[in-house]
Amino acid sequence: MSSIVSRRAREVQPASRARRRHGWIGLAFIGPGLLLFLVAVVYPIFGAVQMSFFHWQILAGAVSEWIGLDNYVQAVRDPLFWSSLLNSGVYMLLTVPPQIVLGLLVAVLLKRASPTQPIFRALFYLPVVTSWVVVSLLFKYLFADQGLINFTLHDFLHLMSQDVSWLSSRWTAMIAICALGVWKGIGWSMMIFLAALQGVPESLEEAATMDGAGRWRRFRVVTLPAIWPSMVFVIVLLVIGGLNVFTSVVVMTNGGPADATQVVLTYMYQQAFKNLDFGYGSAIAVLLAIIVLILSLIQLRVFRDRSEVAS
Amino acid sequence: MKRSLVRLAAVLATAAIAVPLAACSSGGDTSSSAKQTVTIWGSYGNGGNSAQQDALNKTLIPAFEKANPNITVKYVDVAYDSLLQKLTTSAAGGTLPDIVRSDIGWVPQLASLGVLVPISDKMSGFDGLAKATYPGSLATNKYDGKYYGLPLDTNTRVLITDQAALDKAGLTAPPKTFDELKAMADKLKGSGTQVFADSGLGQWNMFPWIWSGGGEVTNASLTKATGYLNGPKSVAAIQMLVDMYQAGEIPNLITGNSGATSTQDGLPKQNYATILDGPWMKSIWKAQYASFTPIWAPVPAGAGGSISVVGGEDIVLTSTSKHQAAAEKFIAFTQSKTFQIDMAKTGQMTVVPAYADAQAQLDPTYAIYAAQLKTAKARLAIPAASKVDGILTDALTPAFEGKVSVKDALTTAAGQIDPLLTAQK
Amino acid sequence: MTRPGEGRRGRASGTVVRYVLLVVGAAIMVVPFLTMLSTSFTGQAYVLTIPPQIIPNPATLDNYAQALGTQDFAGYFLNSAIVSVLATAVAVLLSSMMAYGFARFDFPGKEVMFRLLLLGLVVPAMMLIIPQFVLAKQLGLVDTLAGLVVFYVAGNLAFNTFLLRGFFASLPGELDQAMQVDGANAWTRYWRLAMPLAKPALGTVTIFTFLSCWDEFAWALTLIQTPDKATLPLALSLFQGENSTQWGLVFAGSVIAVIPVIIVFLVFQRSFVQGLTSGAVKG
Repeated sequence: MSSIVSRRAREVQPASRARRRHGWIGLAFIGPGLLLFLVAVVYPIFGAVQMSFFHWQILAGAVSEWIGLDNYVQAVRDPLFWSSLLNSGVYMLLTVPPQIVLGLLVAVLLKRASPTQPIFRALFYLPVVTSWVVVSLLFKYLFADQGLINFTLHDFLHLMSQDVSWLSSRWTAMIAICALGVWKGIGWSMMIFLAALQGVPESLEEAATMDGAGRWRRFRVVTLPAIWPSMVFVIVLLVIGGLNVFTSVVVMTNGGPADATQVVLTYMYQQAFKNLDFGYGSAIAVLLAIIVLILSLIQLRVFRDRSEVAS
Repeated sequence: MKRSLVRLAAVLATAAIAVPLAACSSGGDTSSSAKQTVTIWGSYGNGGNSAQQDALNKTLIPAFEKANPNITVKYVDVAYDSLLQKLTTSAAGGTLPDIVRSDIGWVPQLASLGVLVPISDKMSGFDGLAKATYPGSLATNKYDGKYYGLPLDTNTRVLITDQAALDKAGLTAPPKTFDELKAMADKLKGSGTQVFADSGLGQWNMFPWIWSGGGEVTNASLTKATGYLNGPKSVAAIQMLVDMYQAGEIPNLITGNSGATSTQDGLPKQNYATILDGPWMKSIWKAQYASFTPIWAPVPAGAGGSISVVGGEDIVLTSTSKHQAAAEKFIAFTQSKTFQIDMAKTGQMTVVPAYADAQAQLDPTYAIYAAQLKTAKARLAIPAASKVDGILTDALTPAFEGKVSVKDALTTAAGQIDPLLTAQK
Repeated sequence: MTRPGEGRRGRASGTVVRYVLLVVGAAIMVVPFLTMLSTSFTGQAYVLTIPPQIIPNPATLDNYAQALGTQDFAGYFLNSAIVSVLATAVAVLLSSMMAYGFARFDFPGKEVMFRLLLLGLVVPAMMLIIPQFVLAKQLGLVDTLAGLVVFYVAGNLAFNTFLLRGFFASLPGELDQAMQVDGANAWTRYWRLAMPLAKPALGTVTIFTFLSCWDEFAWALTLIQTPDKATLPLALSLFQGENSTQWGLVFAGSVIAVIPVIIVFLVFQRSFVQGLTSGAVKG
């Protein structure tokens, strides 16, 4: 170890110079992937953005009329756009914190190696693996007027005085949809946190224990900072995923009753693929993407500052 | 690095091979003496039901190919809920099939976007074939004065009830008029069974009541809804439903509660006494509720008689098809008695009134539907039809909940529908 | 190992609490899945009864027989397998290369290019379907499995690269430099050193990518025109009827479809074995 350390001391200066000199190697590593990404994702993004400035005609070769920002103005003036944005936002706010807290809790509980650990890991991961259409349908039946949730909460546990008609009004339906989102997502964040927790050096945990730190203190001072990059990653991605909710809403309520539970992507889908108004649909999607991008950049900035201060 | 380059090269090579292959196959031969393949997209095989697809693939297509040796017909099954999406992306990418079994509601929309061929102009023998179909079904193909398809199969909604419900209400026969329905509602009060249930407030749900009540939805030339949709008879018909809803005789399934018991389950289970539904329910109930015996009856008549709404599919020809002549031959074939009756055996009702008797011999239930189809009307055959259901639902839901009057709700809806009607010109 | 202040009894009660929490949590996770499983063994007449049954009575294998007996079902399964395996392998390779490049090297425009990847996460995929389809047509990829692979790989690059970059960045630099001094070039350092150390992250990325390819529907629907190239999600969508659906059949198909994903999960989750990193650093 000492030889490595002394070698390191000798090599620090030249290594950074070597890095800059050999920057083209870095480009070679990112080259193939980046090229594919630019062609198959970024280029189509430009195409989709372009559609939003036209009264877009779907037939290949048809001429579309340029209407500039009209689609965007229409979106801003559209009360359904704003209510769908509110629904997406509420969904995101109600599903992201539970997924993080519960996912982390389960990861911590499953960190220690034991014969039952793989079994539990698989069970918690099952919801992630099952298709959205199928689980949305199941939850629709669970939350039906005569479904299992009402039966459990009202008839069995007596926590409610009467059955709730979950899917018949906006906010109770949103609760049902959010419950599905949390249920399905816990296993996902659990997986990421499990991988992150494997990277926390046991030596640091032992040192903290020797210093007399209790379990919570150990977690806050050692574990959390060590997994902080993964935590940031999970938060950013869950926020993006939350605002992009789609399939569960389509299956459970189809945006109803009377457009009360429309979210941005279901509204976009309706405009693009039912009303065949692709210009407007693209404009809605672009607006959502901009909002999500700004939120993500803000989060990255805020969380990076915190982690730098902490270290 | 080497391994990834090899892999990437393999992927790109696959793509490169695909390019010349695609180029070879896309240049179709349009001369009628060469072998042609006509591709049809439909949803016959959905739901694990192979009866319709089998009839098509094993009997009808071989018969057609035998009579037309130069034409091969290929049927591709697409999930119904995804068909419009697939048509849209294919239109954008230039990969449409030749023929589509299209939902009747999509035809004006696709026609206005240039996706379909106006076969009333192009197809020989069109007039004769068109005259032979139900007027309500034919009307679904019309856009801007031309017809962009022919009816393929049709259906409508009739009143369905059962003996248990009639007994509970002390009736000997299903309600024939609005008044009899109201009386039935009164008799069922407090019995735990609601007199009528439906699952939405769109055209499919509301128009039978408006028309039967003597009301109209638009003027004859389809240019104006205000004054018609919110006319006194239309308002009165909807008011009847609203009154029943407020009295608890119609469940909130109608205002969009997807957690309420469906009409499909509610009728056999005695939650509901009557529903409006289509001929497909017979085989569905046979599988799920074997001991349930539905009773079929015409839509209750109001001041306008007993008028229902037309459903079904049209057969259309795409404008990008390279085999239009061959495709037209197949379209004509679908109107023949062989095709219509063979498909009627699998549950697809015929669009030709002349075959209604032969159809009724397959199943007497069809006779009631065929009779209802004689007067059934089409929903608004406009390109913006997909928006109308949303407008009606959003406007009528507060009316049912008692927050606005029915007249105001229908006036609002009519005001939003007017620009959609005039926009198509 | 004993901790100060925790006797044997404290440790035992902690374990009990831990197990109770895990069992309750696992039960909540599993109940809807069990409902799906039980419905798949149920005949049409009893599907999704309200209140729900957990043990189907009467039980039947008809749904599975019908699902597996569907024309070409093995073909759909095989297509999905080919596409998912190929796309996962290429995606993991390309994105780990990108992540390593971003983590270990400096070059002009690095931060800009990394931010560009963010676009891939932020833009809803639905919005890109038509431009991607037009592009696929220009590249001659319509109705090909290769077309599915290319776009599945592209769609997974952003997420995978973000996840892996964090991992590579957290690996201590000393080992890199040690190998460099020994004469190892960048590729060897990447392949022999960084990749084995990132096994937990690679396992995660493999599991997620395989799942996203295996379950993907919208792009497959758009791209595939002929049934012999269709993938499993397309086949399952055909189980839903125009007017009514045999849910037992749909669920049976879904259970069959979920098995390979579970297998991939079980195989790759074993790479979460701790000890490689801490061992190497401790030395």
